[in-house]
Amino acid sequence: MSSLASATTPSRGLMRRIDGVFLTLVLGAAILWFVPIGMGRYGTYVLSLWMVMSIAVMGLNLTLGYAGLKSLAQAAFMGIGAYTTALLTTKLGLNWYASFLLSGAGCFALGLVLGFPALRVKAHYLAFVTLAFSTLVWLVLRNEQWLTGGVFGLSNIPRPTFFGLKTDGALAFHRFTLVITLILALALWWMIRSPWGRAFLALRENPIRAASLGVNIRTYTLLAFAIGSAYAGFAGALYAPLVEFIDPSPFALSASFFLLLMVVAGGSGYQLGPFVGALLGVVLPEWLRFTGGIYLIVFASIVVMLLIACPQGVIGLVERGWLALRRPGKGGAA
Amino acid sequence: MRLSILATLAAAALSAAPVAAQEKVKLINVIELSGAGATAGTNFKNGVDLAVADINAKGGILGRQIEIVHYDTQTNPGNTRAAVQRAIDEGTYAVLGPVFSGPIGASMQISQRAEVAQIVGGEAAGFTRQGNPYIFRTSLSQAAAMPKIAAYMKNSLKANSVAVVWVNNDFGKGGRDQILPELEKLGIKVAVDVATEQGQADFAADAIKVKNANADAVFVYLNEEESARFLRAAKQQGVNKPMVGETTLLGAKVIELAGDAANGAKGHVGLSVDAPVPAFQEFGKKFQAKFNYASDHNGLKGYMAVYMVKWGTEKQKKFDKKGLADTLRGATIKPSEEPGILIETTIEANGDLDRISFLAEVKDGKQVITETLPKLKP
Repeated sequence: MSSLASATTPSRGLMRRIDGVFLTLVLGAAILWFVPIGMGRYGTYVLSLWMVMSIAVMGLNLTLGYAGLKSLAQAAFMGIGAYTTALLTTKLGLNWYASFLLSGAGCFALGLVLGFPALRVKAHYLAFVTLAFSTLVWLVLRNEQWLTGGVFGLSNIPRPTFFGLKTDGALAFHRFTLVITLILALALWWMIRSPWGRAFLALRENPIRAASLGVNIRTYTLLAFAIGSAYAGFAGALYAPLVEFIDPSPFALSASFFLLLMVVAGGSGYQLGPFVGALLGVVLPEWLRFTGGIYLIVFASIVVMLLIACPQGVIGLVERGWLALRRPGKGGAA
Repeated sequence: MRLSILATLAAAALSAAPVAAQEKVKLINVIELSGAGATAGTNFKNGVDLAVADINAKGGILGRQIEIVHYDTQTNPGNTRAAVQRAIDEGTYAVLGPVFSGPIGASMQISQRAEVAQIVGGEAAGFTRQGNPYIFRTSLSQAAAMPKIAAYMKNSLKANSVAVVWVNNDFGKGGRDQILPELEKLGIKVAVDVATEQGQADFAADAIKVKNANADAVFVYLNEEESARFLRAAKQQGVNKPMVGETTLLGAKVIELAGDAANGAKGHVGLSVDAPVPAFQEFGKKFQAKFNYASDHNGLKGYMAVYMVKWGTEKQKKFDKKGLADTLRGATIKPSEEPGILIETTIEANGDLDRISFLAEVKDGKQVITETLPKLKP
């Protein structure tokens, strides 16, 4: 994380920052491999849930943080991924890996279809379109009982096997989730570093300048939106076997808002932001349970204060602090 | 002098502490304290707290005091699963709650794997049909209640057509799916089938639909707040057919919120503090005194859940988690053995309950029991 800060001179700074992110991801994964030992199944479950939500937040971070699109459909895409995987594995007996890929591919395709008309309009119009889509998905999940189980949900969703090893236990599934999360995080890391990623960044910073440099705005915004949606699909494909039960409630509109909050609170446009954001959104409320009946009030107060103190999220604050330390008097640059 | 007092106190503290630690039995209640299920969950929690206070005041279970912990589920299946897992990890003797059936479905495998009894407040028919031997209800299931309500509409109200109004969540949809075949069996026509939303505020359009259907009776199956709002809307729209419900429609909270509009509502009640059972009324008074509002059926469920644990433990004469579930399964608990169970309760092999229940009517803002229905398998 230390070299996060030096994003000042375009190419060398970017390279150094990315290496830091890479090291943090690999090192973090190595630590998370061993952390749950002796932690009990509850702690392990919360860690797994954190990683699954991180994947969805990573996708939304690409959409919002890099491409600057305000989407309110991330939880809906996650729901599509979760139901796709649940239905394919329970009803058709397909293996989890194929279901996982199909969930991601399905969300990618839907993202393209939804994004194409939506991206002709900008800013809050996209938010309206995704809001409508989110509501629509939730209604389908709830009302089409013959397919989705309706309000009764789908239960007994099997967990995947890994080269013959079962992941039914909490620790085994945690490590399985960890591997998938690391692969997806590294894929995104690679993507951000590639010309695509620079195009995304250019789009967010100044679309007109990006266009004048030859970036096809429409294609890249559409791609960012579709890839972000595919990540939600991947997250859903892990969520279903993690909880082993799904119903429409975790994929409602409010959940999309919550994912948006995680992106912003973690630090929108930073590679490690989603992990911090999901930590705040998933682990902090669980940890705050010691405060008793008021834990949600305490949680909400912390989030509000955090956003007042650092509108750029936790990672943004860390970066600002680091810059201030290294170059006193010059102030921060994002 | 002061020294000696201090010394005595210290000695007392030293001698008391380890004993107290040994003598506790931990019960964890995983319950809806926020989100859509907060009303039901808070009632259940208060019922649990009341029972624990009662039992602890009388010396606990087999001499051990109960240590009760409540974990909020936010009415979210994923969080419920985490909370039940935490309860098991922390060594709870039995899991109490939750009330909503979605969260029950998401968490019951955890207690099953750990072989710990989970005593829940859910009424949807599905979760006791999955062959999980560690799940127990605290009330009648919809599958048991709906035939009674259909028979009541046919025989007492002489209804040939019924408008069905239900809330589109697992509770409402489950009840609606249970009552429709029962109505069909008795030759009652469903004049209109109205789905409403959880948390819906305005029921005017639904009330007009019901009015236009002109059925002989209206079956209302909504959560508490929504029941009250519907009753008010129906009164405003001049719906003058009998309003029939199951437990929630005649609940204390509904009567309080609906005011005049609740008068004349009829139906079937599994658990009610107004039932002609002295133990229920006694519970109702204690609850009112402690929490300063009238308990609904969920308060009774929470109260009985703790007493089911107490009875099962005293029956097996030890604190064996798996043994508790084995003891409860198939048992009949009589108030003469355990007054806290309030009425005779038979626990079937799948965790369903069989009990007497009541037909009631709201008159002058009070629930009045008109008839007592026997157990299904007396």
